[in-house]
Amino acid sequence: MRSLPSLRGPRPPPLPLLLLCLLAPVRRSSEDGRTPAAPFTSLPVREEMMAKYSNLSLKSHNISLTEHSNMPVEKNITLERPSNIELTCQFTTSGDLNSVNVTWRKGDELLENNYLINATGSILYTQYMFTIVNSEQMGSYSCFFEEKKEQRGTFNFKVPELHEKKKPLITYVGDSVVLMCKCQGCFPLNWTWYSSNGSVQVPVGVPMNNKYVINGKNANETRLKIMQLSEEDQGSYWCHAIFQLGESEEHIEIVVLSYWVPLKAFLAIAAEVVLLVAIILLCEMYTQKKKKHSDDGKEFEQIEQLKSDDSNGIENNAPRHRKNESVGQ
Amino acid sequence: MALRAEPPDGGWGWMVVLSAFFQSALVFGVLRSFGVFFVEFVAAFEEPAARVSWIASIGIAVQQFGSPVGSALSTKFGPRPVVMAGGILAALGMLLAAFATSLTHLYLSIGLLSGSGWALTFTPTLACLSRYFSRRRSLATGLALTGVGLSSFAFAPLFQWLLSQYAWRGALLLVSALSLHLVACGALLRPLSLAEDPVVGGPGAQLASLLRHGPFLRYTVALTLINTAYFIPYVHLVAHLRDLDWDPLPAAFLLSVAAISDPVGRVASGWLGDAVPGPVARLLMLWTTLTGVILALYPVAQAPTALVALTVAYGFTSGALTPVAFSVLPELVGTGKIYCGLGLVQMVESIGGLLGAPLSGYLRDVTGTYTASFVVAGAFLLAGSGVLITLPHFFCFSAPTSKPQDPVTEALDTKVPLPREGLGED
Repeated sequence: MRSLPSLRGPRPPPLPLLLLCLLAPVRRSSEDGRTPAAPFTSLPVREEMMAKYSNLSLKSHNISLTEHSNMPVEKNITLERPSNIELTCQFTTSGDLNSVNVTWRKGDELLENNYLINATGSILYTQYMFTIVNSEQMGSYSCFFEEKKEQRGTFNFKVPELHEKKKPLITYVGDSVVLMCKCQGCFPLNWTWYSSNGSVQVPVGVPMNNKYVINGKNANETRLKIMQLSEEDQGSYWCHAIFQLGESEEHIEIVVLSYWVPLKAFLAIAAEVVLLVAIILLCEMYTQKKKKHSDDGKEFEQIEQLKSDDSNGIENNAPRHRKNESVGQ
Repeated sequence: MALRAEPPDGGWGWMVVLSAFFQSALVFGVLRSFGVFFVEFVAAFEEPAARVSWIASIGIAVQQFGSPVGSALSTKFGPRPVVMAGGILAALGMLLAAFATSLTHLYLSIGLLSGSGWALTFTPTLACLSRYFSRRRSLATGLALTGVGLSSFAFAPLFQWLLSQYAWRGALLLVSALSLHLVACGALLRPLSLAEDPVVGGPGAQLASLLRHGPFLRYTVALTLINTAYFIPYVHLVAHLRDLDWDPLPAAFLLSVAAISDPVGRVASGWLGDAVPGPVARLLMLWTTLTGVILALYPVAQAPTALVALTVAYGFTSGALTPVAFSVLPELVGTGKIYCGLGLVQMVESIGGLLGAPLSGYLRDVTGTYTASFVVAGAFLLAGSGVLITLPHFFCFSAPTSKPQDPVTEALDTKVPLPREGLGED
């Protein structure tokens, strides 16, 4: 059903309306707290679809636009499991509501059915209902209001994302490392690991052998243990969380160093310490030698003076000389 | 070598202060910043936090209980070879830890080996420092001990950076290289022969005489009581603040405020200890009483400004009591017995230190708040200061007695070698 020229409420054929009245009690199980503000009459949805997916939860989301909105309004929605979806856009304008063209698109593709239009006062409401059961149905759904300018509201559906990028892990050759991926508040069906050199991702850990061990304590985390690391193991590793509605991935980088890298720094510092100790001890020996040398020097002079007492003829200082004379006689 | 009658009070003594500064940084700064490695060990060995924290506990325990060994060895061989050997041991422990494959390896290498290395360095250095100074002893000790606080600031971010560049194995290798500088510090400790050295005898005799020395024993009891309680806020303040609904970041910030006023208190108290005449024990009693009162006031303070003021004051007074605590010892037992004395004191007071934090935690578990913990800690401190009153000459207002109890001046005349004697026979 496309936009109707007069927008005083929908004019569906009577038969589907009757069906909907019968099905109305089944539909009213809204999990999301956001109920649309405007009262809608039931949508003409296919009967089989409602019966098939009646056990899925209903998620409702809302976007408000005005004629003056400069930027497209976007809402990001995280979806983990198949659900029934109810999207509502409301458009406030001062102009004529009849002249507004309302469309829904998924990506660029125009959506043909299953949406409803209503007007109350100066606000135009449109609602689109559908079900997401596989990854093709995920993506961006937009409502368009065409007046003089086109106003657009977008709902982006994504699977839960994993943690942000972490710092590279430093490891050493011969050591082992544990890479961990965790999903906050979500439970993937399965986890897989890949390693990549460049752009190609190669699966890792299948089959399990001595080098790779994959396990996880809970459903929302996974650990890849790599043993006997070598320089070739260096590079990027990816963990993929697999949901019913798509995949999510996270990137971890490993750097493998050889022991020689810190060892060089260690030996340099150790050499510096040996040098310091040598300088300190040599300085001390030098100052002590100087002191001892000056002490020895004084003693040497006195030895010379005393020796000259016995040997006649050598005159050193006056007192000695006199003593010499008195003794030597 | 000529025997001196008096400690030089300067000259080479300032190099000893420098050496002691770097040593307290390299021993206690490393110990205090080791928490940075804690997280890495928990992840790498997949062990619970309690088991990993034993590494630091073993290291501290070995350092303190091994102090008498360090002291006895330095009495016999002089401080220099002992401290250099200690530096090599400490570095070796860290080096072996870099290749560890289980937590037990870390207990043995860091805890036992590095701990023994630290035991052989810290106590002999402080004792050597006390021998080099008498009039400026407290100031020199205070200056040397500021190394602990300043290094905690520097080493924590440094270790974190090392971990990000080299992971924990490489970082331990480089911390080992850092600890090698203890050997260089030990080289600076020139031996000093003081007048009373030949009289006091070897380590065995010294230990025996110390154990019979009344004031020394009372001083040891006082220090044990003080050591039980005085660092309780460093352990429990953050948790107490969280109980009062503080956020974690401001609570941690308050602790670093205490860490800033701590070295200020150390230097100020060191200067004061030398400037004020009379036994230093009185100043120790003053600072201890103040710290005890502050601790007892903690449960009463609720407003943030009051808590900040209390914490600044606590940092100052608890830092202030450390240098004077070391300065009292030479006054009691003399510089001749200082090595053994200091070793014994460290060993006994460490018992208090080991019991203090668990006791305070136990009181908290039993009563539900930290009120009892802080009040009991304050009581321990006041009890310690009470014991200090019983020290000799406490109420004397005469000239300072920084000389030992039994000065031996005749030793000078008989012991100095005179090469001239031989010459006279020529």
